[in-house]
Amino acid sequence: MYVFVCEDSLEGIFSGVYDACASKLGHRNIRLATGEPENYELFSEYIPVAPSAEKTKKVINTIVSRFGMQFYESIYQAAMSGEPNNGKKMDKADAIYETILLALACGDGQKVLLSLGEPCVYRIFELCRATNREACHHLEFLRFSELENGVLFATIHPKDNVLPYLAEHFTDRLPMENFMIYDETHQTVAVHKASKKYLLTDAADLDLDKIKRYSDNESEYRKLWLTFFDHIAIESRKNPHLQMQMIPKRYWADTPELVRFA
Amino acid sequence: MNIQQNMSIMEKLAILTDAAKYDVACTSSGVDRKGDGKHMGNCLAAGVCHSFAADGRCVSLLKILFTNECIFNCAYCQNNCNSDVPRASFTPDEVCELTMEFYRRNYIEGLFLSSGILISPNYTMDLIYQTLYKLRNEHHFNGYIHVKAIPGADPALIEKAGFLADRMSINLELPTSDGLKKLAPYKSRNTILKPMRQIQNGIAENKNELMVYRKAPKFVPAGQSTQMIIGATPESDYQIMRVSEALYQNFNLKRVFYSAFINVNQDSNLPVLPGGPPLLREHRLYQADWLLRYYDFTVDELLSEDRPDFNIYLDPKCDWALRHLECFPVEINRASYHTLLRVPGIGYKSAERIVKARRTATLDFADLKKIGVVLKRALYFITCSGRMMYNTKLEENYICANLMADRTQIPRDIRESGYKQLSLFDSGMLDCTPVPQSQLIAGELAAVQ
Repeated sequence: MYVFVCEDSLEGIFSGVYDACASKLGHRNIRLATGEPENYELFSEYIPVAPSAEKTKKVINTIVSRFGMQFYESIYQAAMSGEPNNGKKMDKADAIYETILLALACGDGQKVLLSLGEPCVYRIFELCRATNREACHHLEFLRFSELENGVLFATIHPKDNVLPYLAEHFTDRLPMENFMIYDETHQTVAVHKASKKYLLTDAADLDLDKIKRYSDNESEYRKLWLTFFDHIAIESRKNPHLQMQMIPKRYWADTPELVRFA
Repeated sequence: MNIQQNMSIMEKLAILTDAAKYDVACTSSGVDRKGDGKHMGNCLAAGVCHSFAADGRCVSLLKILFTNECIFNCAYCQNNCNSDVPRASFTPDEVCELTMEFYRRNYIEGLFLSSGILISPNYTMDLIYQTLYKLRNEHHFNGYIHVKAIPGADPALIEKAGFLADRMSINLELPTSDGLKKLAPYKSRNTILKPMRQIQNGIAENKNELMVYRKAPKFVPAGQSTQMIIGATPESDYQIMRVSEALYQNFNLKRVFYSAFINVNQDSNLPVLPGGPPLLREHRLYQADWLLRYYDFTVDELLSEDRPDFNIYLDPKCDWALRHLECFPVEINRASYHTLLRVPGIGYKSAERIVKARRTATLDFADLKKIGVVLKRALYFITCSGRMMYNTKLEENYICANLMADRTQIPRDIRESGYKQLSLFDSGMLDCTPVPQSQLIAGELAAVQ
């Protein structure tokens, strides 16, 4: 068995897919692994994959031209998932590799994605669903605060890499605002300048002091929001269990109305 | 009445949020609108819930009253002219400021503006219109707006507001006109249904205009909704659902909301509810409402004059299936989409997935589980390639006992009181209906009457 060890990113995984196909070792003898495996198997050979922009582009081109944008989107969303690789479920990179092979053999990407009986396709479906849910939850629960210099700033802690999706959404929604979304888990930042496109960058340059200095109005509006939030609940219908079901506790720390109870 | 001058915006917000919280509809769904690249706001058709209050209800829109001063005396409403609550009124500018600043911070998805009747219905509707006009044309707010049409207001004002709002609603308040006469003497069926019809016609006309000229202004693009109070008057579930069905069919409503009655005024005309608001009844009504809108059920299939209320122990779909065992089992690999929809444990999404997936492969129970079918409910009603999942009997009592053992179905207090019923049931006292309706609902009805 040959195991291609890829980096946990779209580039890493797609380079792995490319290398695995190009190696001509026979698909049956190949597995992909996301990140260094915890335990090495005795009779497997481990081949590290260096992420390459060129290989990634080739794989994307093949996927999009042969199976369409929808298929690529599903694969992309699956690759963005941050579900920990605990060995109980199929590896992310391996699921992507096998699904692409299935699609190549069948010729119809949409048809492959519907055959949930295949373990690799089901895994893609699961990962996609998880990423989608996480993205939707962050659309809902992300909160901006106005900084001293008028920039809107939000900190999030998503499981999956949903920042591109969020940046896209808020660029459409707040075109004339300067805003930043800081993904603390993945250490990335989306920066949007009024009436421009957004940028994704590394969080290393973020000025951690500046993002704590709020504008004068900020605390006033925050108080107004808390007042609204506390008064909108109906006392005789109180249901903390339902509340927790709808907004899981891991989101509470990033919202001003619930951080008080977290 | 206690009118204070010079209140801060914080005090006003507290009062007018409290005054608005019993309104149920807080959805931001039904319209997809991209941002225009210059001004703030867009809309997603699926709707976005930004937070969940302590009662577990979603906070999607800034739900406030414009004013809680009111000349009407509806018995169920805490803002009626006889009740002793602090009164306040926003100005249009204050509402705009709150909406814009909350929206910028991603606290809310838009504005839900309702109002008490200040001076006259026309005067109030005009204030609401002015607020919306400011918000749309001066602040260029492009997000979601849900506005209440005031019963009795001039149709011209309602039409003007409709071109600025995404969704409009007029509360039906009570399911029958008798109830309305008794509890809300200033409102009548006529003043409620007339604007509802007007909005319906407006939407239909607007669709035709949009076909001719794509950029024609949109009239209430997310449709209209309404709400009914459940448990303040002695109507049966059957009557309530008949009203909803009629509203969906004759008025093309997007949604009918049900609000479990909460006695805020301690009015002698109103029932006392020692067990709290009838939440489970509300839940069953919502479940049935979904069956009407997404599952092609009609009310007469679910309820009838003889059994006018929903079963507390089983959801309406399971209840229907148990009474129609002649339709089951259903073969997953061959049944039509419509038939699949009627199987307990299969939702419309899983039904869609089944129809798609079976084109390429024969489905088995393991596949169904992956597709999202709730097998613990469905397994009694389906076969895969002619085989059932386990060796089960297609027998009402047997299936009912097994379904009721599912602990996620019923709230705990009722589940525990239900064990008595289960032992009754075990001793063979019931043969035709799984649970005797009259006894089960009795407790709740006693509270209502």
